[in-house]
Amino acid sequence: MSDSKEGTSRGGFALKILKGVGTPFFAVLLAVALGSLIMWLSGYDAVAAFRALYLGSFGTPKAIGDTLLRSTPLILTGLGLAYGFKANLFNIGAEGQLFMGGLTAAWLGVLIGTLPWYAAVPILIVAAMIAGAAWAFVPAILKAKIGAHEVITTMMFTYIAKYIVSWLVVGPLKAPGPIPQTNQIAPSAVLPRIQSLFSPETLQSFPFLALGRAHTGIFIAVIAAVVVWFMLKYTTLGYENRAVGLNPSAAETGGISVAATTVKALCISGALAGIAGAVEVMGVHGRIFDQFSSGFGFTGIAVALLAKNHPIGVIPAAILFGALSAGAGTMQLEAEVPQKIILIIQALVIFFVAADEVFTWKVKRRQKEAVSSVQ
Amino acid sequence: MFSSIITPDLFASALRMATPLALAAIGGTICERSGVVNIALEGMMLTGAFFGTVLTLATGSPWIGVLAGILSGVVVAAIHAFASINLRADQVVSGTAINILALGVTGFMMERLYGHPGTTDPSAMLRPIFNFPDPAGFMGGVWHWINVVVFSHTPIVYIAIIIAIFAQWAMYKTRWGLRLRALGEHPRAADTVGINVLRGRWVAVLISGGLAGLAGANLTLEQVGSFTENMTNGRGFIALAANIFGRWTPVGSYLASLLFGFADALQIKLQAFRGQIDIPPQFFLMLPYVLTVIVLAGVIGRSIGPAAVGKPYEKE
Repeated sequence: MSDSKEGTSRGGFALKILKGVGTPFFAVLLAVALGSLIMWLSGYDAVAAFRALYLGSFGTPKAIGDTLLRSTPLILTGLGLAYGFKANLFNIGAEGQLFMGGLTAAWLGVLIGTLPWYAAVPILIVAAMIAGAAWAFVPAILKAKIGAHEVITTMMFTYIAKYIVSWLVVGPLKAPGPIPQTNQIAPSAVLPRIQSLFSPETLQSFPFLALGRAHTGIFIAVIAAVVVWFMLKYTTLGYENRAVGLNPSAAETGGISVAATTVKALCISGALAGIAGAVEVMGVHGRIFDQFSSGFGFTGIAVALLAKNHPIGVIPAAILFGALSAGAGTMQLEAEVPQKIILIIQALVIFFVAADEVFTWKVKRRQKEAVSSVQ
Repeated sequence: MFSSIITPDLFASALRMATPLALAAIGGTICERSGVVNIALEGMMLTGAFFGTVLTLATGSPWIGVLAGILSGVVVAAIHAFASINLRADQVVSGTAINILALGVTGFMMERLYGHPGTTDPSAMLRPIFNFPDPAGFMGGVWHWINVVVFSHTPIVYIAIIIAIFAQWAMYKTRWGLRLRALGEHPRAADTVGINVLRGRWVAVLISGGLAGLAGANLTLEQVGSFTENMTNGRGFIALAANIFGRWTPVGSYLASLLFGFADALQIKLQAFRGQIDIPPQFFLMLPYVLTVIVLAGVIGRSIGPAAVGKPYEKE
């Protein structure tokens, strides 16, 4: 969708960025405005709510840490959704692949025992990628071979994944004790907090580095974004992905197998969601339990759409939704506004981004009509 | 054990479980036949379930609740219609936004109205229509089966059957039905012969919203008796699968929903035997979702949808 020609000059590049950012910016602005209206109509103090929301998401270094903490899985699920969207596939079930990735990391994380971190971390991440891809594989095959809509099948697989996890955490993988959860993963598999990378003296002189619970998984997420961007732009795999998304019959004529590309796209999308599950386990909880994800797979949809499926654009979009989610608690506490307002704002953002595409399309069409009426 | 599983109330329960799926599936059928994909059935159902309970709690009358459920489904459907028909937005994206919106609005309003998340207070429910006694003797045993399977139900269960038959008739025997099918197969041709494509699709989407809202009201006001956040639990998506399995026909959708309803009923029944069968309950709970995938895998390719479904229509 945002695959316009490379800017020829620096000015062209800046204009491109501005164009790419302008419409999502207005979509967010409009959604927030409408969200405030809803709060006001419901008798809440919208100004106090947004002040609390800001405090809880960017107000202190710790709050910024919370925002980064929640942005981390969102970058990854958003990337997964965006990669699918590029091939015209809607992986609505990223949540299920995230669960399977998390489960695999939690399970292997206990098994690996005394492996050093530079072995443990990659093994867990790769295993989670495979698990996520595997969970997307059956829907992918069904889509490629017989056209079963991936929205229904990946959704069904999400429910199945959640029940598998909820069975394992009370059954075979249950840790001793009354709480249904798995054992704590090995210390070497834990993604350290960002602030733990600095000495107490450094933290004292640079307090903005005391990012609370934010962990190094965010670097994995950012690297993933760069890798996906590179893949889409410079590799055959990415080229085929985009070609199938833009025009499947033309791609097929051009010698690209639409079926094979579909399977690859959904599996890669699943793999990215799988990493999201792994970083949640390795960086936040240290284990898996029923409610370990607060809908990161579903929020990934909004992240990808807001980023207009641009892998690098996914990062700021994820930070925005991460901030909303981090600030929601403070907002409920201080302004007594139900956290669910965040979901409403999220839905509105999706509407406005979708509608915006329609508007730009309409403008283009009018221009085309004007041209053809001149001829 | 077999005889304690295959009981009349298993079949009665299958009919009850099938009802919300069938209503939403028929809504999906009508919507998709007009050429509009409706991923938003889930959200419309959830909204109907919520407002059904809210109005019942406020007025004490479950029938007012049913009406509120239907109306709220129609209102949500209007958003989908406007986005996908007038703005020509991506119908799947619009549907997804509605599902998230429904989750947010019901959760938000619940906390606003009742001061807590989770589950509402129990509301009044619709009662079974008939109440026949069971006579003794062999004929009494046969009558007991009929009595439980056929005559033990609440009103919307029967309404759903009537709607399935009526919608089938309307779709294949009336001018409205012919036009509806034309909209989804070849809107350009329909337009050429003077059918108002946009209006026809609007009507179809609103009907599907009303039916999904009724499905939600059935969940809260006939089955559960209270509203819980996200209580639809994927039923809207299963209903879409039932619509495909039923080959985009109302009666077919109903019969396919019966299959899913039976799986659900069996699953609940088997859970009562947890002591005897050593299978974790989660495996029973995932049964309807597994079945949905299997059904989709088996049937698609031989079941072909409306040609123009998902494509926005634009006058030339």
